[in-house]
Amino acid sequence: MSIKLTTQAYCKMLLHAAKYPHCAVNGLLVAEKQKEKKKDSHSTPILCVDCIPLFHGTLALAPMLEVALTLIDTWCKENKYVIAGYYQANERTKDFRPNQFAEKVGARIAENFSEAAMIMVDSTRFTMGCYEPILTIYDHHENKWKCRDCNADCFEDWCEAQKITSALLEGRSYESLIDFDNHLDDLRNDWTNPEINKSVLHLC
Amino acid sequence: MRDKLRKWREDNHRNSEQIVDVGEELINEHASKLGDDIWIIYEQVMIAALDCSRDDLAWTCLQELKRQFPGSQRVKRLAGMRLEALEKYEDANKQYDSILQDDPTNTAARKRKISILKAQGKSAEAIRELNEYLEQFVGDQEAWHELSELYINEHDYGKAAFCLEELMMTNPHNHLYCEQYAEVKYTQGGLENLELSRKYFAQALKLNNRNMRALFGLYMSASHIAASPKVNATVKKANVKYATWATNQINRAYQVSYARKKFNNRLKLSENMVVVDVVSKPNTTKWTALSKVMINSKH
Repeated sequence: MSIKLTTQAYCKMLLHAAKYPHCAVNGLLVAEKQKEKKKDSHSTPILCVDCIPLFHGTLALAPMLEVALTLIDTWCKENKYVIAGYYQANERTKDFRPNQFAEKVGARIAENFSEAAMIMVDSTRFTMGCYEPILTIYDHHENKWKCRDCNADCFEDWCEAQKITSALLEGRSYESLIDFDNHLDDLRNDWTNPEINKSVLHLC
Repeated sequence: MRDKLRKWREDNHRNSEQIVDVGEELINEHASKLGDDIWIIYEQVMIAALDCSRDDLAWTCLQELKRQFPGSQRVKRLAGMRLEALEKYEDANKQYDSILQDDPTNTAARKRKISILKAQGKSAEAIRELNEYLEQFVGDQEAWHELSELYINEHDYGKAAFCLEELMMTNPHNHLYCEQYAEVKYTQGGLENLELSRKYFAQALKLNNRNMRALFGLYMSASHIAASPKVNATVKKANVKYATWATNQINRAYQVSYARKKFNNRLKLSENMVVVDVVSKPNTTKWTALSKVMINSKH
C-alpha cells in the first residue's frame, strides 16, 4: 500500500514548487501499470516514475483540471502508465496540511487507483541543499487520509534524488519547467518536460 | 537592461529572481547613468529582493530611498513591506496604521494590512476587510480580483462570480475576466450555470480567438450540457454541434503548434474527447463529475 518515488518524479515536483514560490502549485504522479495483480498480502510498493506539474495560482477551479486529467489519462494509457497520486504545495509556507480541494482530487484518483497517494509539500523545510525529504504522504484508508512519515525509504534512491534535485535547483532548471498552465498559454509547451527528464538522466 | 526593468514594471511581472539579477547589476555598476529613473528602480528591486529573501539588498535600496525622500508615505509602505517579509507583522501593522493616521485614504497601506491577514492565514478576516475596503473604493480592480481569488479558495463560488461580474462590467473587452468567470460558473455546476459558462467561454473566445482555456472550456461545458438528461433534443443537438466545432478548433490549434510526428499523438488525444453524436454515450469520463464533487463539499 505504499508508494515510492523516483528521482525524476521528486525532482520535477520540487522544481515546480520552486518555479512559483508565491503560488500554490499542484500536479499528478504517474506509475507504471502493473501487469499482474499480486494476491499476496505484502504488495510491492508502487513506484511513481514521473510527475506531471498541473497548475499554479488558483487551483480550485474545475474545467481546466478536468481537461488536464482527461488528456493526461489518455497519455497514460498510451504509455502504459496509471495516475497514481496527486501533489500540492500551498500558497502559504506554513500551510502544509491538505485542504478540502486536495482531498477531493485525491479521493477521485483513489476511486480509479486504490493505492493512490496524496502528497503535500512542506515548504518550511525546502532548501537548495535538499538535505531531507520535504514531503508528507497521505494514504487513503476507509475514506480518510492517513499521514505517513516520509523518509529515505519512500524513494527509489534517496541519495541520488537529493543530489540531482539540489543540482537542478542550483542551476535554476525550474525556469524551463513546463506545467499544464504553461501548456494552455502556448500549446507548444510540452508538459511532459522532455528536456528536464534528459537533464535528470544525464546527472544520474 | 533599463528597458527590461521598465517592461517588467509595466507588465507587473513577478519574476523577482531576474529583477534582482538585472537590477543589482544596474544599481552597482551603472547608478550614475540612470538619472531620476534610479528611484523607481530602487523601489522595484527592493520589492523583488524581499521576494527572494535578499534582505541585504532590500535594506540598501530602502536606505537610499529614505535618504532621498524622507517622510514619504510611499517609502514608509516599503519599510512596512520589509517588516512583513521578516514576518514582523505587529511592527508592519503599526507602520501601516501610522500611514493611515496621517492619510486615511491611503489605499496602499490598507491593502498591505489585508495582505498581512492573508499571510497569517486569516482568510475570513481578510475577506471581511477587503469587502469593507471595496465599499469605499469600488473602482479598485486589483482588489476585486484579489477578493475573487480569496472566495475561490474558500469554495464560495457564488461570491467569486459576483466579483468577476464587477470586473467584467468595467472591462468588457478583457477576455481573461470572461474566461475566469466562465470557469467559476462551470465549477458551481448545475445546468443553468453550465449554460452561462458556455456562453462566457464563447464570449472570451470572441474577444481573443487564441484563448485555449476558453476553447477547452467551451468544449467541456457544451459536452456536459449535451450529456445532461434534463435538456431537450434541440438543445442537445446544438451543444453537440458546439462541442464538435470546439474539438475541430482544438485539433487545428494543436496541428499548427506541433510538428507532424508529435501531432498524431495529440490528435488521438483530442479524438478521445469528442462527443460523437446525440445518441451515443457521451464522453463524460470519470473526471468530469469532479466539479459536482467540489461544490457538494462546500454546502
